[in-house]
Amino acid sequence: MAQSTTGEETRVREVGVLRRWLTRPELAAVAGAILVFAFFAVVAGDSGFLTGGGTATYLEVAAQLGIVAVPVSMLMIAGEFDLSVGSMVGAAGMIIAIAVSQYGWPLWAAVLLSFLVALGVGFFNGYVVIKTGLPSFIVTLGMLFALRGLTIGFARLLTARTQIGLGDAGSGSLLTSIFAGSIGVFSASIIWWLVLALLGTWVLQRMVFGNWIFGVGGDAIAARNVGVPVNRVKIALFMCTALSAALLAAIQVLDAGSADVLRGELVELQAIAAAVIGGVLLTGGYGSVIGALFGALIFGMVQQGIFFTGVSTDWFQVFVGVMLLVAVLFNNIIRKRASEAR
Amino acid sequence: MMERGFSRRDFLKAGCAGIAGAAVFGAAGCGGGPETEGAGVAGLTSRKDIRLVMVTHGSASDPFWSVVQNGLKQASKDLGVEVEYRAPESLDVVDIQKNMEAAIASEPSGIAMTVVDPDALSDLARQATGKGIPIVVLNTGQEVWEEVGAITYVGQTEYDAGVEAGKRMAEAGVESALCINQEQGNVALEDRCNGFSEGLGGNVKELAVQGTDPTAAQNAIKTELNNNSDVDGMLTLGPQGAIPALQALKSTGKGQALKFATFDLAPEVLQAVRDGDLLFAIDQQQFLQGYLPITFLTTYVQYGVSPVNEVATGPRFVTRQDANDVIDLTKQGIR
Amino acid sequence: MTNDTPLLEARGISKYFGHVVALEDISMDVRPGEVMCLLGDNGAGKSTLIKTFSGVHQPTEGTLLIDGEEVLLNSPRDAIDRGIATVYQDLAMIPLSGISRNFFLGREPTKGVGPFKRFDVAKADQVTREELKKIGIELRDTSQPVSTLSGGERQSVAIARAVHFGAKVLILDEPTSALGVKQAAIVLRYIAHAKEQGLGIIFISHNVYHAYPIGDRFTVLERGRSIGTFEKDEISIEELERQMAGGAELEELNAELQGSRPSGSEGSANGKSD
Repeated sequence: MAQSTTGEETRVREVGVLRRWLTRPELAAVAGAILVFAFFAVVAGDSGFLTGGGTATYLEVAAQLGIVAVPVSMLMIAGEFDLSVGSMVGAAGMIIAIAVSQYGWPLWAAVLLSFLVALGVGFFNGYVVIKTGLPSFIVTLGMLFALRGLTIGFARLLTARTQIGLGDAGSGSLLTSIFAGSIGVFSASIIWWLVLALLGTWVLQRMVFGNWIFGVGGDAIAARNVGVPVNRVKIALFMCTALSAALLAAIQVLDAGSADVLRGELVELQAIAAAVIGGVLLTGGYGSVIGALFGALIFGMVQQGIFFTGVSTDWFQVFVGVMLLVAVLFNNIIRKRASEAR
Repeated sequence: MMERGFSRRDFLKAGCAGIAGAAVFGAAGCGGGPETEGAGVAGLTSRKDIRLVMVTHGSASDPFWSVVQNGLKQASKDLGVEVEYRAPESLDVVDIQKNMEAAIASEPSGIAMTVVDPDALSDLARQATGKGIPIVVLNTGQEVWEEVGAITYVGQTEYDAGVEAGKRMAEAGVESALCINQEQGNVALEDRCNGFSEGLGGNVKELAVQGTDPTAAQNAIKTELNNNSDVDGMLTLGPQGAIPALQALKSTGKGQALKFATFDLAPEVLQAVRDGDLLFAIDQQQFLQGYLPITFLTTYVQYGVSPVNEVATGPRFVTRQDANDVIDLTKQGIR
Repeated sequence: MTNDTPLLEARGISKYFGHVVALEDISMDVRPGEVMCLLGDNGAGKSTLIKTFSGVHQPTEGTLLIDGEEVLLNSPRDAIDRGIATVYQDLAMIPLSGISRNFFLGREPTKGVGPFKRFDVAKADQVTREELKKIGIELRDTSQPVSTLSGGERQSVAIARAVHFGAKVLILDEPTSALGVKQAAIVLRYIAHAKEQGLGIIFISHNVYHAYPIGDRFTVLERGRSIGTFEKDEISIEELERQMAGGAELEELNAELQGSRPSGSEGSANGKSD
């Protein structure tokens, strides 16, 4: 560790390169992923976990969560939460199914409509948070209930059912291949996930907007004082989280051939968990999208892993909870060890 | 005919007859209050004054109960009575108790209810009947409807339906099966699986998946099927389990070897039955579970009549032959 | 000494919040190449005054002049655009972000055009490194988090940032109050350097011992009013301290408590008594 050279007063420890790599928010998440993978490889290695097919199962689940976790983590870095994404998945899916099956819309138009509605909801979320100054936790919590309620209410009002199929509209369509197709055993959602993660990382690390996100999350008042358009940044991010929920909804609807009012339940909490595992601070101003990618990967492995171990699925939730705690603790220890800067 | 003038006595007789006739007419007309067009029998009260409350454990977002509610609404329309539906968002007996207490306090003409937890709800049911509020038990509570003093029971116990399903599957040659529960914690679904186990003869493994996440469910089923090659039968307990299961079967290519059946109908499910991918789908005809209690309560309140036995609405097995006819009805939320 | 037009001048500024008098008839100014120390005990109104200078508040009465021209600052952005940079106590630094990211927040250099326009991280790093070198901090890697710098260094980086982005007037809010002596010395040395470059500096403090060495003139506030503006050669540290602690009042109180004791003389050229 080099010392700086001007006088005894100024002694800045140059933090060594290796140390700084260890403190990167992602690294602890990568370590956590390796830990979880090793666990399942040992415990369930001979039951298909290590095969291509087995890998594809947890990657698909990880990818679908990851698609939402990317913008959610960026929003958290900017210091806000979006608890309504899960309900948005359900609502967007319903919009697609109802438009196609009740009103005969072409599939692409229905999907486009759901995306536009999502952007509108995202804008509304951001606008209310900014105008009222209320914590986004509360605003989007209200939206979580309101959206879910509207979804159930309108579904039953318009169709008398809560689970609505696309009928034949989905089969053979190009959109279905784009959103829900697969390459070999690996589903298209994995590609969407990777693309979104790369895009998110590029924005955070290499674009001015990304620096603004860090600034807004670190100290919004200071950022505003140096001219960062704080409101615009926040609203844009809320629109992104909602849009990603609609994307996930489209993928699920085209894959399953139907929509259900309860789709997306718990996704908001899972996305936050993935982001936190990935190194995003709950207080904002710090974190990375790649970290959230590994957080989602851990989630997918843990969620699907139980089925490989043969343990009774009655213990499913205990399993998920315990493994997540372990991953986060491990993550924390590594980061603390490495970041003794002060 | 002797022609003689009307005497005063004749006049009096005619007058009395006329008044008596008018009185009878008037009494008949006043007996039931304002008459509806063409209503034959007046009864003890009028339809307009009848308000019935249905208190169940089925939330609005559950596709099964969605159909029950449709039956409820149709009965309300057809019979001209007012109805209310009360159910919690997720299965919580405490919430159901509160709903029941509120219902009783509102002094309705009658209550239709499910008794999902006899310990918690029997007392409340007796409280209602004690106050003169008639009760019909639907769907869950077949063992207790008589002791709580209900008029009758409408429905099909989940357990018995499961047993029937198991028997049918055994007849089709299934020896070892999976029972896929898409909503752990739902007592009705657990009963279905337990009954299925008894009916099949014991070799049933229960697999819980997350019904609200079709991708996770599908992948879970795929993994399970890949790891358990001696499973030759599968039962799902609702469309949220059936649809991912169908996809899992398609991608593992085990469709032919495996006998697959499900509870509850949905268009996709019926299409699969029609195409031979599903052995059968079990229709509880829960539309009737919403419709009939309202009918029975109305006729009891108004005319004092009721069935002497329970009314079974299922199981009705939809197989390849009749699948097509049922599809349209499913799309309308009737079956 | 350069030209005498004050960079920033307050004439008769008053600020009322409802019926609370935050500032009453304050006049002061700062000239190029001088350090004007704004002193006063807690609650004297220093905070409100600098917020008025930096555009957060608008004066209820009185005028603000920049370079001799009357202006109305409607927002902090206005003030910054006119070259008035304020460094608050919290520094407006994001501890977990890198130093160069912090340096260029809101003013990021870019390269490329249209959808490929990106944050020129290399340039930001290079400029930051140069600026830090000027204040005596040499780092090989400017993407280190700000939290790796000591308190005095962070303060200096914040000032260097303001200077780099074209501040003509630097308003420093209690820059040394949270620092130890050695760290404070680093900051004071840098302020001297900035002064040499012709900036006008308003240095707010409640600690006379930090302010006195660096200050050229001193304005003392007490309960929203100005007690006076003093040249360095007109007043001693002890006298300043007395003024700040409410010198005249304390004297009176002393006299009351002790019976009749003659009060000391108040020496001030253009001071106003309460």
